Amino acid sequence: MFLSFAILGLLYVIFLSVLAYLGLGFVPITIVAGLMILAQWYFSDRIVLWSSGAKIVTRDQFPELHDLVERTVARNNLPKPKIAVINTRMPNAFATGKGPRSSVVAVTTGLIDILDTSELESVIAHELTHVKNRDVLVLTLASLFSTVAWYLMQFGFYGGLYGGGMGYGGNRNNNSAGAMLIVIAVAMLTWIVSFLVIRAISRYREYAADRGSAQMTGKPIKLANALMKISGTMKNIPTKDLRQKEGLNAFFIVPALSGSTIGNLFSTHPPVQKRVEKLMEMEASMS
Amino acid sequence: MNFFKRLLKNTSYHVNDYIIDSGSLFSLSSAQITLETKLNLKSTGKAALGLKNVSGRIFAETVEEIKNFLDISKRESDLSYRLMNDSYDYIWIVFQSGKVEDIISSISATGEIVHDGGFSKQLFVAMFQFSNYNGKKNDHYLVYNYATNKFYPFVLLSKNERDNKIENEIMETVSNELPFERDESLWYPIWNLTL
Repeated sequence: MFLSFAILGLLYVIFLSVLAYLGLGFVPITIVAGLMILAQWYFSDRIVLWSSGAKIVTRDQFPELHDLVERTVARNNLPKPKIAVINTRMPNAFATGKGPRSSVVAVTTGLIDILDTSELESVIAHELTHVKNRDVLVLTLASLFSTVAWYLMQFGFYGGLYGGGMGYGGNRNNNSAGAMLIVIAVAMLTWIVSFLVIRAISRYREYAADRGSAQMTGKPIKLANALMKISGTMKNIPTKDLRQKEGLNAFFIVPALSGSTIGNLFSTHPPVQKRVEKLMEMEASMS
Repeated sequence: MNFFKRLLKNTSYHVNDYIIDSGSLFSLSSAQITLETKLNLKSTGKAALGLKNVSGRIFAETVEEIKNFLDISKRESDLSYRLMNDSYDYIWIVFQSGKVEDIISSISATGEIVHDGGFSKQLFVAMFQFSNYNGKKNDHYLVYNYATNKFYPFVLLSKNERDNKIENEIMETVSNELPFERDESLWYPIWNLTL
């Protein structure tokens, strides 16, 4: 976790110093990209709730769900999140929100149907750990680098074409064309490396959330069962919800920004098999 | 993560991992007299400690240790106890005694056994039951939250309705005597528990 951030920070510094050295006017673009990702973070909960069709539910509508969440947050001294339900057969859950105090935990009706109370509790605890660890913020920050790099790559590419064709001639033209190439190369490298690091961070956060869930519930095997049930069903029922999700992920640049979805099979998540193995090891170590 | 937490000024709450504050529990023994004299609420002599069930032998041993301890206490006082499970996989140890002090010290000691076993985060709440003066309604509770070390009221109006008016009266009456949860959003209800 710390190492990932150190690497990302270092990349960012190198990247900025190259820019500064070249003295190119990329500052406005960096600011715009920064603002965009800030807005994305700020509106993330509303965007995700709106696009997933999640509805905030009251205690009267889902008393058992509220009880489960309340008992878990009460024992761990966490603020109670808003609870949302998505009306779909697809079993899934996610957490979103700017911080622990304004977070939302959403589950699908399919999830409530296939899991028993303890399994549902373990999935909720997994999502609560994401909230506690501020994973949406962490991944937003992490993706800042790749977003900026992406914009610079494009800008460098078009800027290079433009500069090559309509330069003012002489040495200056050659210099700026060379500079453009360097910027493109550096931006590309930044983008590739940060892309990989984001996925590494994301996978690491998933394991951390699994561990957090195991500690909160005291029963790692329940989360293992839940994960197997969820992944089993997900493979068997292809519905249009998956396509919706893909669109959502594209919009978010980094898939994990659509909230921290449990049990889905994107590369931002470790394979379910491995997660189950780790949970079973935890379960075994308890006896 | 400390850096980020400080950066975001997110220090207002924390997970209170391994602190068991027995003093808070014992302040109930004077507060219950205030409840009786000012609000006509009398202890029914019943209380329950809720504990999240955990997999494995070590936790099972801790539960055995609690039983052994309580069996000994039972012989030395008029304390009785029983264990039950609820649908959320929580274990409830229900205590009964004519002396509130005995219940408080038993619950405190039980909490310490759980804590020593390494399961303090599994401690949920201790619920102390009160009835109004004519004894017709047994569904007034003071709930002690182990994560915050604070008490809050929980009064049933009907099977799934709370009586917020009496809950606020209880807060006004004893909030100076007990470590009291003043944030009403943390007054989590415990439904369907028969002591």
